[in-house]
Amino acid sequence: MASLILCLAGCAARQVTPVAISQPGDAELPCNSLKQQIADASAAEAAYRHKDKQVESGNAVKTAGSAIPVAGLFLAGSIDLSNEEQVKARALADRIERLAFLAKQKGCAP
Amino acid sequence: MNSRTESVAKFFAAALMLSGLAACASAADPTAMTVIAPVGADAAKPFPQPLLGAMCVRNVTGGEKTNPLWVSKVDNAGFSTALTASLTGNGLNAAATDSCHFPIDVNLLGLSQPGMGFDMTVTSHVNYKVYDSAGQPFLLETIDAPYTAKFSEAFVGVERLKKANEGAIRQSISTFFVKLRDTTPK
Repeated sequence: MASLILCLAGCAARQVTPVAISQPGDAELPCNSLKQQIADASAAEAAYRHKDKQVESGNAVKTAGSAIPVAGLFLAGSIDLSNEEQVKARALADRIERLAFLAKQKGCAP
Repeated sequence: MNSRTESVAKFFAAALMLSGLAACASAADPTAMTVIAPVGADAAKPFPQPLLGAMCVRNVTGGEKTNPLWVSKVDNAGFSTALTASLTGNGLNAAATDSCHFPIDVNLLGLSQPGMGFDMTVTSHVNYKVYDSAGQPFLLETIDAPYTAKFSEAFVGVERLKKANEGAIRQSISTFFVKLRDTTPK
């Protein structure tokens, strides 16, 4: 019972900080920096999307396992609803769109 | 307390606890996500004149439908309704489509929700993209807004989570309005 109370009190969502769509200094970035940032963000986005699928699969298993008496309660408590990977991947997609817009405005070579 | 009474007491305690954790989830209510009027320091600072009656919600993406067997979510239509009502309530919404000079696109990045808990804190992550009449980005903001629904707000867990979702979106729209007040549109 004490463990359950501890879990109920402490199963808070993880702190998630997505990348900001617009950042100070964006407008001054030269073409090579824009290109590099787009490449880095694209790689990070792909990694987060892959990890998001893994978390979703893990959650599906934990949800099924939550039907088990007693242990199921702890499995249910460990389900990850922070959506960290999804939030970060979507934020990166918007960031890439923003950087691509700036690159186009500056006439950078694709 | 004899053993029979103790067993009955334990049964009711467990039933009470489970009823607090389990119920059917329902989607967030747009009315509960609406920011009616500014409060406190926000009320003193007006919106820039060009924005008044000149904004509208164009697109909302990223929302999720609520599965009654799972947890409460915020869908695109609900968010759009809440934001439009908030714009209207604050004198920002354009009366007609052709008078909308500052369309808003919204991307709901997601909700960070707790697994379970007494007081539930949900953080909404939303990208707001406001464009001017020339189609140029005028305001691009990523807003992370937390809200904690206290145990006293709703006894049932899924209802408390729904209230936390609604509060986090309301807080997000409120913060978006603070950013709008600080802009200088042409």
